[in-house]
This record gives sequence, C-alpha cells and structure tokens, in this order.
Amino acid sequence: MTNTPSAIDLEKIEHEMGMFQLFDVTASVPEGKMTAIIGPNGSGKSTLLKIVAKLLKADKGDVSVQGKAAGVYSRADYARTISMLPQAKEMLPELTVRELIAFGRSPHKGMFKQRLTDEDNKIIDWAMKTMSIRRHDDRMFHTLSGGEQQKARIAMALAQKTSIILLDEPTTFLDISHQLEVMGMLRKINQEQGITIVMVLHDLQQAAAFCDHLIAMKDGEIVSTGNPQAVITSRFLRQVYEIEAKVSFEQNYPVIIPIPRNYEEDATMIIVTNISQITKGNGDKLIERFDRIGKVEGMEGFLGLEVLLTQNTKDYDEVSVVTRWNSKDDFQAWTKSEAFRESHTHRKTPDYIISNKITFQEVKVKRNPLPPIQQELAKEA
Amino acid sequence: MSRQIRARRRTIALITAPVLLLLSVFYGLSFGSVPISLREIWMIITTDSQSAHDTIIMNLRLPRVLVGLLTGACLAAAGAILQGVMRNPLADPGIIGVSAGGGLAAVITMVLLPQLSYLLPAAAFIGAFATSIVIYFISWDKGTSPVKIVLAGVAVNALLGAVMNGIMVVYSDRIQAVLPWLSGGLNGRSWHHLSFMAPYALVGLGLTIAAIKPANLLLLGDDSAKLLGQKVELQRLLLILLSSLLAGAAVSAAGLIGFVGLVVPHAVRLIIGEDYRFLLPVSILGGAALVVFADTIARTWFDPIELPVGILLACVGAPFFLYLLRKRSNWR
Repeated sequence: MTNTPSAIDLEKIEHEMGMFQLFDVTASVPEGKMTAIIGPNGSGKSTLLKIVAKLLKADKGDVSVQGKAAGVYSRADYARTISMLPQAKEMLPELTVRELIAFGRSPHKGMFKQRLTDEDNKIIDWAMKTMSIRRHDDRMFHTLSGGEQQKARIAMALAQKTSIILLDEPTTFLDISHQLEVMGMLRKINQEQGITIVMVLHDLQQAAAFCDHLIAMKDGEIVSTGNPQAVITSRFLRQVYEIEAKVSFEQNYPVIIPIPRNYEEDATMIIVTNISQITKGNGDKLIERFDRIGKVEGMEGFLGLEVLLTQNTKDYDEVSVVTRWNSKDDFQAWTKSEAFRESHTHRKTPDYIISNKITFQEVKVKRNPLPPIQQELAKEA
Repeated sequence: MSRQIRARRRTIALITAPVLLLLSVFYGLSFGSVPISLREIWMIITTDSQSAHDTIIMNLRLPRVLVGLLTGACLAAAGAILQGVMRNPLADPGIIGVSAGGGLAAVITMVLLPQLSYLLPAAAFIGAFATSIVIYFISWDKGTSPVKIVLAGVAVNALLGAVMNGIMVVYSDRIQAVLPWLSGGLNGRSWHHLSFMAPYALVGLGLTIAAIKPANLLLLGDDSAKLLGQKVELQRLLLILLSSLLAGAAVSAAGLIGFVGLVVPHAVRLIIGEDYRFLLPVSILGGAALVVFADTIARTWFDPIELPVGILLACVGAPFFLYLLRKRSNWR
C-alpha cells in the first residue's frame, strides 16, 4: 500500500443478504484519490458501497471514515461527510433541475428551514457549473436526456459539499461520449477539489484510465487491490472473470485481448430418426407412448431429442422422433439397456401404428473458431 | 408539466383554494331551511344584534360549518402526509385503519361508557394513535416498507371493523346514537363539539409545517433521504403519529368520513404536483372547503331528510377515485 492516509477503512466486514454475501472484507480507500470497485455481477460491490454509505448495516466488522467509526456519526453529520449517488432507479417527483440539486443542501439545514441562503445558491450554481448543466437550470428534470439527468444527480451529490463521494455505477446506461464526459468531470472534481471519489464500475478500461486505485472483488471477497497496472493482469482476468486474455497498457488504458478457447473440431454425431406412420387422430396416443419409454437422458452418448408434430395432433398421420447420439454404438447400447427393455416388453405395437422406419445419419460437426484477433489488429495497424 | 405551467397552476391554486373555502363557508351559513343573506350574516357576526336569525347562525350553522371545516382540513392533511410517508397513493386514514381505530375507541366510549362522552376526541385520538403504532410494529422487520404498512393496515382495519360490528350487535339497544356518527355526519354539531376537537385539530394542523421537509425528501426515496441525512424510520413514525392525531380529531367530531383524505390530496397533486410546500396548504384548504360544501348540500338538497355528509362524500368520492386510478396509467 501507498503512504497516503485513508479516507475510509473497512475492517473484516461480513454481511449476508439473500444471495449477496461479503466475507472478511478488509480494505482502505486512499484519501483524495479516485478508487473503483470492480468485479463481476453479484460480487458484492454495490452491497459494500451501501454499507459504507450506512444504507445497510454490516452483520460484522467496522467501517471508519476519516479515522472515526461510522457509527459515531449522526445521520446528518454523515451526510455532510459522505454523499452517494445510488443506482438511478428511483422514480423522482416532478422537479426542476435546480430544485433537485437544492435537495443536496438539506443536510446543512435545520428541520424547518428549507429556504436557501445566498451561500446555498452559490454552491448550487457551482455544482451546476462543475457538471456543465447550468443551461438546464430551470428545466424539468424528467425532460433531460439520460446523460444530462445523470450529471444533474451528480451535481446534487456535489451540492452536499462532502469530502467523500460514492457513486454506484455512474456510467451504466450512458452512451460512450457521456460515459467519458462524466468520468472526465469526476476526475476533474477529484483533482481540483481533492474530493475522495469511490465508485462501482463495470468498465475495466475506464476504471484503469481514470482511477488511481482499484479494489477487485469476486464472490464477496476482495481478490486484489492496488493501482490499475498492478491489478489488471492476465492472472486477474482468469481468476475473477474466468477469461483467458493478454493484457497490455496503452497510455493508461488496458488493452485486453481475449485468447479464443479451442473448440473441438471434426466431432461426429449420429442422428437417429424414427418415423411412424399412424392412422389419423392417434397422434396423442403415440406421444403418450413415447413418454413412457424408458429414460434416455441418462444414457452415455445421448445428445438430444426432438419430436416433430403439427399443432393439431388430430390431423397428423406421421410422427418423427429424432435423437442425437455420439455414435451408433451408444444408440445400440441404449436399445439393449434395462430401461429400454422394461418399457418395450409386455407391450405389443398398437394397431394405430401402420409402419415404423428407423434411419441413421452420420454427421460431421465442424466448428470454426473465430480468427485470432491479433491478426486483425495487425492488419489494421 | 413544464415549469411555467406548474408555476402558473400553483399561483392559481394558492388563490383559488382560500376563495373556495370562503365561498363554502358563506354557502354553509346562508343556506338552509331559512335562507339568510350575507349582509345579515355579517351583521350578526360583527355586531351584537338580537335578530331572529341570530340563534340560527350563532348556535346552529356557524359551529357546524367550523366543525366541518376543521374535519375536512384534518382529513386532507392526514391523507396527504400518509400518502407521502408510505409512498403509496392508496394511503388514507380510512383505508389503512387509523380512522377505524379511532372509530372503535369512540364507539366503545359511546356505547359502554356514555358518561365519559366528553372524552370522545381523546378516546378517538388514542384509538387512532394505538392503531397506527400497532400497524407500524406489525410491518416492522429491519425497517419498514410502505407496502407492508398498507397491508398491515388493511388487515387491522378489517379486524377493527369486526370488533365494532360485534359491539353494535351485542349492544343493539344503545346504537341509536352511534349509527349516524358511523356514517359520518355533522348533524347537530355545536360549540361544545368544536371546543373538544379544535385543540387537537389546530395543534395537528400547526405541526404539519414540520412535515413538509421530511415529506418532500421522502419523495426521493428512502435511500436518497437517508443519504441526505434524514432519520427516515423515525420521521416515518412521527409523521404517522401526526396523521393519527389529525384523523383522531376528525373522527371524534364527525365520525367515519371517508375519501376526503384520499381524493383531495390526489386531485391537488394532479394539478400542482407533489411539492409539499404547496400540496399541504392547498389540500388543507381544499379539504375544508369540500366538507363544508358537501355538508351544506347534504342538509339542504334532500329536504326534509338530512343526509350524513359521509354518505354524500362516498357517493361522489368513490367514482372520482376510480376515475383517478384509471387516469393514473398515463399520469405516473
């Protein structure tokens, strides 16, 4: 770890909430830096962020903020220290952009005081200017585009004038230009105001390019922390995302080139088609008969089953049952199996089956792996 | 709704609501079996004249109008606050059982302890208060959710209704006094009733000022309100208590009047939006005007029968509520 003092310290956090769990999460967030929490879906990133924001209380473990246990802060004190942008899914009432951002001032005001002071208005103006949404001042929030809405929400968090801002997936649902714009603005706020920023991100590229520090999680545990170049490695991608890839860095951006998995080529399979001619109107009975025939799924070499029927079984005079097998031997092994014999003995072929024909087809399966990406890239260069 | 339209509507609503209330009061005072002109009313109220109509205005119509006014104001305020804190448009003192709690306490007082009838408002308030506490704790499980509160309220409402009916069956000889009260009426409300309910109602209405900020922040959602430093659970509890105080005051004076708390804040919200700085005062004035108007209509239009105002309000309110529900799909 670096020598920078930490803004947030997490000590052995354990939490269980439905399918989300956190185990022994110990980490710290460096002060005045930009930190991203990364990891696959369901790894507990958002849960961790909510625990830091005191929206959830961890079953075990301690959170301290600027050296003080989170529990010591009153709600209002905490709201003057940490602001958070939750995932944008709450329905907001009809508000102007300015009214929304003004809510950010409420932790600084008393129970009855809603009237904004000159200072409040200055801060609101500053927040809007920082997010460059001043021109939307008087517009209704819900008439803005997704990207502008997100900027307005961030401005509301800014108006809280806290030293730490948490953001839960601030760029999800935005197009790439808005993503980069929002990330750039956050970086600027971080550098110019010295505000500690912690965010949950899905995009590794942006996490690496804009953040100083990464916390990588998988299955509720921290798997690695450090600066982006140290964290994002082939080993990390294999361990956390279970993909094989080469990683290199171009300026601050990681270039992640997946290595295609080798697919088996030239596999063969046998398609067994059993076509029964039946007297019209007896389709149902035949299907019922097939239902009773011994289990196939458990057989070695069995690949799949298809039954071809029309929607109206009464009109049908032909039923095809198609099974797929690894080899002819596997199919024959089934016809000799206990399960098959059990279902066929003591049963005469019913008279609605006029004829029955079984055909075998051998099929070669050839899968074409994608051409190696390296070659494509080389060509373009 | 654009900002300009909203601003215009707010201004219009803030001017119209008091005017409507004033009109309703004059309507209530001057109409009845004996029509009395506005000038005469003015003379009676401002001077010490001893005209023949003096008794009618001062002893019959004025207290009745004032009780109706406070009842409507309390019910609308209680409804507006409950809808906000429970984030549920169906929340209404009548629907989630707070009124029923107050009603049961009042029925018990009237039927079993008639000698204590002067404690009626206190009993209704305690009943409403106790019910809201019960509902709150039934629905509590590591925090509470609006849906759980409404479901618990519906169940408690059903139970309280059953108990109330049980009492009325057992003491069927004593329910003559209770029946008109149950359907919600203002017949024969006097200064005596007003002096009982007014302290509760006025304290409750005054406290609604404190409800504005938390109610507005709760519109952003529980998480956002917490992140803005609000003690959401505590606020929700206090606001529910406030609305049971308001509902208790209304129930004690006017019985079980439904739909005012549901329809008035809804209609106001449709017109001027959800900001409680405007929603609450306009709803309070609108609720007061509605009940006074409706009561005057209920006692004059069906002469010689005097209809309990609760019945009239339900007849108008229920279809209006259905209309709102249908419209809601393209509303939000």
